[in-house]
Formats: sequence, C-alpha cells, structure tokens
Amino acid sequence: MKDTNLGLGLGLRSTHFNHILEHWPQIDWFEAISENFMDSGGWPKHVIRQIAERYPVVLHGVSMSIGSTDPLNFSYLRKLKALAQEVNPVWVSDHLCWTGVQTMNSHDLLPMPLTEETLQHVIARIHQVQDFLERPLVLENPSSYITFKHSTISEPEFFRQLCNETQCQLLLDVNNVYVSCFNADIDPVQYIKDYPCEHVIQMHLAGHQHCGTHIIDTHDRAILPYVWELFRLAWQRTGAVSTLLEWDGDIPSFDECHQEILSAKPYMQGEFDSSKLQLPQLLQQETLSTPVDFMVPNIMENAVLEEP
Amino acid sequence: MSPSQTLQQTQAWIKHALTHPLQANQAAIATTINPSARLNSNQCLAIYQRSYYLRLLKCMQEQFPALSHALGEDLFRDFACEYLQTYPSQSYTLYDLGNRFPQYLKETRPDFSAKESEQEDWINFMIDLACFELSLFLMFDAPGHEGKPLPTMETPDERLVLQPCFHIAEYLFPVAEYYHDVKRQAEPVMPQKETSRVAIVRKNFLTHTSLLTLPHYTFLKALQQGESIAVALAHVAHTCSIPLDDVTQSWKEPNGIRQRWIQAAFFIEL
Repeated sequence: MKDTNLGLGLGLRSTHFNHILEHWPQIDWFEAISENFMDSGGWPKHVIRQIAERYPVVLHGVSMSIGSTDPLNFSYLRKLKALAQEVNPVWVSDHLCWTGVQTMNSHDLLPMPLTEETLQHVIARIHQVQDFLERPLVLENPSSYITFKHSTISEPEFFRQLCNETQCQLLLDVNNVYVSCFNADIDPVQYIKDYPCEHVIQMHLAGHQHCGTHIIDTHDRAILPYVWELFRLAWQRTGAVSTLLEWDGDIPSFDECHQEILSAKPYMQGEFDSSKLQLPQLLQQETLSTPVDFMVPNIMENAVLEEP
Repeated sequence: MSPSQTLQQTQAWIKHALTHPLQANQAAIATTINPSARLNSNQCLAIYQRSYYLRLLKCMQEQFPALSHALGEDLFRDFACEYLQTYPSQSYTLYDLGNRFPQYLKETRPDFSAKESEQEDWINFMIDLACFELSLFLMFDAPGHEGKPLPTMETPDERLVLQPCFHIAEYLFPVAEYYHDVKRQAEPVMPQKETSRVAIVRKNFLTHTSLLTLPHYTFLKALQQGESIAVALAHVAHTCSIPLDDVTQSWKEPNGIRQRWIQAAFFIEL
C-alpha cells in the first residue's frame, strides 16, 4: 500500500453539506471540485474550511484545460493556488483534456488527439502549471466517445510519457477506462496492464449508462459489477491507492453514497476474473454525459422572503 | 480536415461542430474521427454535440427556476439555447453562465425599439424575473459578513454602514413574491403590474429578501451611494415629501426601521 493511501472517500457534493456538518461522519477523505470553492465568498467556502479542518481533502478541477491551445488561464491558476493554500489539499488534480478554445468554454472534458504534437504541448503546459502551483499535478484519464484518425500514441503510453517527462502523477478513473475502451473497441484489461500504474496515486469509481451501441459516463447510479471487477485488477496493479466514488446526478443520501464506496473492500483482495467483465445486455436511452448541473448551487433552497 | 491537421485546427473544428452542429461537415467528420464497431464517426461526435447544449441548459434551469416556470420549460430552453449561441460561456466557472442572460433578454425583446409605455408587460415581467434571480444567485456566494460581529442597538448611526452582501432593486412587477410562490410550488400565474422594491441581504448564509416601501428604498439607495444616515434621512424627507421629524421618528422608534434592519443584518459596524 502506498504511503499516500487516504482510504475510501467521497466526492464532496453540496447536497450533502448539511449532513456532513451535522453528523461529521466517519469517512476517510473527501475530494472537492476546485471550481465550486475557488470564487466562493459564501456557504461553499464556509463548508470547505470546516471540512478541511477535520478530513483529508484533495482538490479536483474540471477547468484547467491543460490540453487547450488557448493560453493557460493564470487568473484561474492564481485562484486555484490560493484555494490550495487555504485548504491544504493532499494533492490537486484535473483531467487530460481541453474544455474550450478561442475563449469559449464548453464545460465538457473534450478528448485530445494523441499525437507527438499534443504530447509536447501538454508536457510544456504541465511544467508551467507545476512551476506555478509549486506542487505536482495529478492528471485523470477522461471518459471519451471519439478517437481521432491521426492519433499515433495509445492513451496508456501517452500518460507514461507525460509522467516520465514532467513527474506528474495520475488519477486512474476505472469507470472511465471501461467507458472509453468500450466506445473505442479497446480491451480495458489490456489498457490497465499497459497503464503506468506505478504513477497512480488515486482512483475514481462511478456509475455509467450502457446504451448498447455506446456507454455514457453519467455518474448517476451505482457502480456496475464489471467495473468493480476491473477495479480489482487496477487495485492490484497500482499497489493500493486512495479510491473515491463520484456521484453527480440523482445523488442519493450521504449514507448510501458512503455505503457504495465501502463496497470496494471485497474487491481489494482475490483474483481478478476477466470473465466477470462480460457485459449484461443493457439497452437504455441515452442521458447526459458528465453532468455538471450539480455544480450550480440550489439558490432557491437558501432563499427566504421576509414578511413586511 | 486532413491527417496533418494541427492540434489547434482540430480544437477549432470541434468547437465549431459543438456550437453549430447543423453546420458540421460530414466528410470532415469521417476523415477526422474513427468510427466504432457500432457507431459511425458522425454518431460518435453527435454524443458530444447533443450533450453540449443539454448540459448547459440544465445549468441555466438550475439558475433560473422561476423564469423557467414562468416561460414553461420548452420556451425557457429556446431562449436559453439562443442565449448560449449568442454568448457562449467564456468563463471557467459555471457560476458565470447566466450573468448576461437578463441583458440578452433585454437586447432581443421583439418590442425593443417601442416606447417604454408600449412595451409588452409579459416581456417586462420575464426580464424582471431574470434580473431578480441573477441577483439572488450572485448574493448567494458573494463575500459576506458571516462569522463577524454585527452592530447592536447601541451602535451610533455614524458607525453603521451597509454590509458587503447587500443589494437593492426596483421592479415593474412583484417578482420576489412570484419567486417564492414558485419555491413553495404554488403554481403562480403572471402577476399584475405593480412596482416592487426589494433589499436582498445574506445572513447566516441564507439570502433574505425584504420588501421595501419607496421611502425605504430611497433611503437605502442614498446609503449605497455613500451618504451618511443623517443625509439619507433628509434626502427621504425631501424626495418623498415627508416631514423630516416623521422620517427620523420612523427610523429611531422602538421596533422601528433601525432596529429591524440591524437585526436583519443590513448593517455592519465601521
């Protein structure tokens, strides 16, 4: 087990704020979405300050856009650095993706063509970010629905070269591996075997929606059995790292989410069985990938009309 | 698109394909994106194209729930979609997504060039509601005064200033009542035109909306503009044609405006 293994954690979601502040549940750690707190002067900032005093916290971003060909947003990075100085996260992560270009932000985690040009571009930007933040950057493999004809490097190899060149670290999202591999007709077991697992310090788990022809990364349901089995393999190959559940749509109670991530325990032992990766026949109507509306606070809930 | 396209070209091309899906060149899609065993290139890209607007529209509905109720979900989505096409997000944070929406509704109203008196009421109401909801949204997470001491009744007027998380506004319609009717699922209909004035203040991380009379609004507006309390009271007396003694009495009397607004955290102490 790696020294930095924080245990089994949950993505911090505003719908659970009151429960956490009221009960201070016994949970190993939280992952906070950086953008939800870096500009906050109100309730979210008040909550993260208290949580960071009591639990290990890591910051996980969705807007660094490390792969974009637009210049790095140093205003964003300054705020991220200030937040990190305030909550003292164990690490700071984001995604290998781009979120926009030509000043537009799609608020989606868009995939990169994996070429030598992209590799050099991202390496240079990781160096800039790490120098600025004065800490290693942790990068996550995104879920993707397209691959590019002009890609020349496999995703595991791309991550390996990023780590070798920049000493960045990795967040392996096991669900994303499954989603992206299915969508791109790649063997997820081979992906994990090729992946530079020695650089992984965290894993993500989440639910997804299988539409028959493709899989959508929805984060709105329990983890599927075949993803759990893939997690067993990833657990063995990474040498046991901090593991976290992301649940972003139709979010159940805190206790249900906590119970779901505790379900990881049986998969931290035993032999990996590739036959358990067989997909059940699930055909569901497509819903939204990577929901982001959970990041918009529920203002109405916190609004009061004073009687005259 | 060709195999030698640069990263910059690829990203610019995808951006355009997301924001203008109907204009995406089918041949370029086929030469740029791999098909899967079950979907062709176009169908793969379409997953991103569908989710781009849907994702942001859900956020807009989260930010403007009362306006969405007033317009109905379909019409709200039409307006919001056109808004996102006109003003695509340029911010790293979704908190900024709706910042220009009220302004967009003003700019694009069909009776934009008509005289104010001839403009349609329902459009005025929608714009008022959008403005009110945006104000609430901004106040929710603006820097506030929580965790710091509040003034007491003994604090002299000279040391009272408005707290940082404070906003006043005037509307053509009673939007605050409508908003809270939506909140309690009372299925409100569009209200009659009636000027309303509100103060929004955050206390203990809740955004409180207080309804204001014209003298109250005039007084708070003067304070916002930097006037002292004494000058603001005189300004109310002059503007609203109320004897200064009456204005001062209303301010100072037990259970009067001063006491209520100190308790409501309108003020902090200098």
